[in-house]
Amino acid sequence: MAEIVSANDGNFDSFMNSVKTIIVDFWAPTCTPCKLMEPGLEKIAANYPENVKVLKVNVNENPLTSSRFFVRTLPTLLFIKNGLVKTQLIGAVNPGQIEKTLSEVQ
Amino acid sequence: MEKNWDIIIVGGGPAGLAAAIYCGRSLRKTLVLEKQVFGGQIVSADIIENYPGFAEPIVPAELMDQMSKQALRYGVVLENDEVSGVHYENNSWRVDVYNNFYTAKAIIFAAGSTHRFFNVNGEKELLGRGVSVCATCDAPFFRDRQVAVLGGGDTALAEALHLAKFASTVYVVHRRDQLRAEKILQDRVFKNSKIKLLWDREVLSFTGAQRLEGIELRNKKTAAVEVLACDGAFLAIGTVPNTELIKNIVELDDAGYAITDISLATRSKGLFVAGEVIKGNRRQVSISVGMGVQASLACEDYLASLE
Repeated sequence: MAEIVSANDGNFDSFMNSVKTIIVDFWAPTCTPCKLMEPGLEKIAANYPENVKVLKVNVNENPLTSSRFFVRTLPTLLFIKNGLVKTQLIGAVNPGQIEKTLSEVQ
Repeated sequence: MEKNWDIIIVGGGPAGLAAAIYCGRSLRKTLVLEKQVFGGQIVSADIIENYPGFAEPIVPAELMDQMSKQALRYGVVLENDEVSGVHYENNSWRVDVYNNFYTAKAIIFAAGSTHRFFNVNGEKELLGRGVSVCATCDAPFFRDRQVAVLGGGDTALAEALHLAKFASTVYVVHRRDQLRAEKILQDRVFKNSKIKLLWDREVLSFTGAQRLEGIELRNKKTAAVEVLACDGAFLAIGTVPNTELIKNIVELDDAGYAITDISLATRSKGLFVAGEVIKGNRRQVSISVGMGVQASLACEDYLASLE
């Protein structure tokens, strides 16, 4: 079963060329909506192990990755396919909205 | 998942969860549908200091987590799903969600409200690129930077005080020449050397390409236009009620708030409303909780009258 993987400024690039769709969850310990969204993201990581990789990036510890994608609000979910950002979701969203966006991206 | 319920509560914020606790204790089969996160918008705030019964400040997410658990304890089902329609047909209420629907004998509509936007140039484009609706979530991005909070109520001042822990300067930009917020918050803001007030300013646009660089403002008294350079702009100018789904089945006022009788019943039998969909709520958790309780009691009376 696939799980959410913690990425950081040092290793983020190694995930970019994955053939899977990448969902990047930008979060911080002070962001309560981020914490409340985590079970939904865990479910998505588990349900789509073949096609989707879910990464989480702590913005406090990884400012380079956050600023590279101009992330200035939490929660932010980026959907990346073939190394390109396809779309993003800003604010608290439910698992259904994430799945719907995923189906549009894939 | 069960299809038919006694009561469906639309919205899992303070009003919806308070109603759910009472519906559960009335032994009604109750489903709560929440499109975002259980607990509602208040979970994004850093503290609550005025919820009665707690002498010390409390963390809103913890308070709302307790409310969710209290509802679960009485058999209520909490489901994360977005409601797309509410209709009365074949002697019951039908609630549509993504790829599915449920039915119920009664509805408590507590869908809350959504942040109000200025609807000016640059606002939507720069949302998440410096324009924000959640200071608690986003303040760490603005460490040692200049930011502005737009608004003059409780939310605006609470956000300004939180941002002042991170930012170099926090401008509170308000369209009037006095604040509406609680006096205790005003007192703290006036005493904070990092917070500066700009009165009588109207927002014309948000400027910047990849990220926010400034806010174009007009002084309402002098008509002078200026650009306030800042990296962050936090919108706190109130909310609009989420009543789109019930606009054809309940009476709404000009601003879109639901009109009810004193029991929180609407003109549609079996449809009750609670929380920030009702005018005059003033966006307090304690008021929404009280409304949720009231709506659930009225709903219980209604269901009993059918039996």
